[in-house]
Amino acid sequence: MNIDKSIQDRLKTHLTLDDAFPTRMPVYVNSFGYFFGTMTLAALAVIIGSGIILALFGPGWWHVSGAGRFINAVHFWGVEIFYLCVILHILFKFFTAAWRDGRFRTWALGWLIFVTTIFSGITGTLLQENWDAQWNAQQGKDAFNALGLAWIHWLDYGQVLTLHVVFFGGLVVLFAASHLFAVRSESPVRPIVDGSKNSDGAREKAR
Amino acid sequence: MSRLSEENLRGIPMKPYDMVREGLMVLAGVTVVIMLLAVLWGFPDYQPLTLQEVATKEPVAFLQRTVSYFSGDSDLQTYGPPYTPDYANAQHVGFICPACWVGVVMPLDAQRDLVMAPLKQIGMLNPAVEASLKDYDQTSAAQQKTWIKNYTAALKAARAEQGGVVLPAGQYGPVAPLMEAMLNLARAGLLDAALTENANPALAPYNTSYTRSLLYLGGPIMDKVADHFDEQGGQWGMLHMAGPYPGAWWLMPYAFLYQIPAIGNSPNADLIAGMIIFAFTLVLIFLPFIPGLNRIPYALPVYKIIWRDWYRKYPSGDPPRHASVTQVDDPAAAG
Repeated sequence: MNIDKSIQDRLKTHLTLDDAFPTRMPVYVNSFGYFFGTMTLAALAVIIGSGIILALFGPGWWHVSGAGRFINAVHFWGVEIFYLCVILHILFKFFTAAWRDGRFRTWALGWLIFVTTIFSGITGTLLQENWDAQWNAQQGKDAFNALGLAWIHWLDYGQVLTLHVVFFGGLVVLFAASHLFAVRSESPVRPIVDGSKNSDGAREKAR
Repeated sequence: MSRLSEENLRGIPMKPYDMVREGLMVLAGVTVVIMLLAVLWGFPDYQPLTLQEVATKEPVAFLQRTVSYFSGDSDLQTYGPPYTPDYANAQHVGFICPACWVGVVMPLDAQRDLVMAPLKQIGMLNPAVEASLKDYDQTSAAQQKTWIKNYTAALKAARAEQGGVVLPAGQYGPVAPLMEAMLNLARAGLLDAALTENANPALAPYNTSYTRSLLYLGGPIMDKVADHFDEQGGQWGMLHMAGPYPGAWWLMPYAFLYQIPAIGNSPNADLIAGMIIFAFTLVLIFLPFIPGLNRIPYALPVYKIIWRDWYRKYPSGDPPRHASVTQVDDPAAAG
C-alpha cells in the first residue's frame, strides 16, 4: 500500500482545496445564523491568542500590571463570548436539523468539543488565583470526587495548569480542527425538503 | 471539489464566496467586542482568601475550625473517599458509587496533617509549644477529650480583643496554648506554606498542591464568604463570579438541578446531578437517532424563517435535479 496515494485518494474524496478554501457557496447559505460558527471560531482564536500571551508573561504579570490585567480580562471575556456564539451556533444547527445527509459525525464532534470546553473552562476558573478560583475548587472537588474523578488532583495548581493549557486546550483545538474538516468536506446541509422527499423521489437521509 | 461535495451540492445554485475574507472580518469584529468588554468591565479579581486573613479578621472562626480538626469532629474527617476510608459517606445512587471505586487516593488525617504537623514545626522554634504538645500526648484520651470539649464550648463565648482571643476562665489544659500557637502561625502567614510544604516534603520546594490549605478553609469559613457573594449552589452560584461578573452561565441546566429540593438537599446531590447531565448529554449527542426528538426541527417553523429566500424560490425546498449538471451558478447571486 502506498500511504501517500491513500492520503491523496482520501483528500480527493473528502477535502480538496476547493472545499478547504471555497470560492463558491450554495445560495441557501444566506442567513446571519451561518456566522455563529465563524464567530465561535473567532472567539476561540482570541482565547488562544490571549492565553499564549498570558503563558509567556506569567501570573506575576497578569495580576499586577495594567497590560497583564487587560489580557487576563480579554481571556475571560473571550470565553464568555465563545459560549454565547457556540450556543447560538448549536441552536441554529438544531433548528436546521444539520445532522442530515450523513452529517451525524459533525454533530457529534461538535458536542464533543462543547463537553471538552466545559472541562477546559473549569480548569481555567481554578487557575484564576482569586476568591472565585478557591470557591470553585472547594465546590468542584465534591462534584469531581462524587463522579470518580478524584484521581485527578483538581487542587494541584501545577496539574490543573497543565490540564488547562496542554490537555484540554489541545483536545479543543484537535476536535475543532476535525469539526472544521468535516464541515468543509460535507458542505452546508441543504434546506429541509417538504415531506422529507427529494424531487427525484428519494427520501432525505435523516442522518 | 471533492467527490463528497459534488454529490451533496449536485443541482444546487451557487454564488461567489470568499471564506477567508469573511473569517477575517468576523475575527476583527469579535476581537473588538471582546476588547471593549475587557476595557469596560475588566476581570473579577477579588483577592484569594488566606488563612492569615481569616486568623487576623475572624480569629474565633479560625480557632473553631482548627479545634474541630484537632478533635477529629470536623466533617472533613468523615468525608469518605478520596480523603478518608468512610465509604458509607461517599456519594452513591444505589450500587453506583464512583468515589468508592476510585478509593482513598488522597489520604488525609486532618488532625495529624492540618494541626499536629504544623504544631510540631512550631515546637522546634518555641519550647513552650513543644512542652504543651508533650503534656497533651502524655495525657489520657479521656482527659484530652475533656480539655477539647471545654475549649470548644468556651469558644462560643470567646471574644477577639487586641489581637488575641479572650476565653472565659476554664480547664483547657495545653489545648488553649496549642490553639493559640496555630492562630499565631496563621497570622504570621506561615500556615498556608507549612500545609503546602508538608503535603509532600519529597517534592519541596516544587510542591504545587494547595489541597490542604484549601480544605482547611472549607466548611463554615468559605461558606460565609460565598454567602456574601451569593455563590452557594442553591443561589445559582456557578452562573456568576463574585461581584457583577458572569460566570459559567452555560451550565444553567446543571445549576438548575441543584435548585430542585430533592436533589439540592440530598447528600448525593453531586452524583445525581452529574448522572442526569451525563444522560442529558448522551441524548443531545444521539438526538439524530431518537425518534420524536429528531423531528422537532421539522415540526417547528424556524428553518422556514432561516431559509425563507430559498423556500420563496423553491416552495418544496428541493430544486429540480439535473444529474448531468454538478452545480449551476445562480445568475442573480453572481450579480
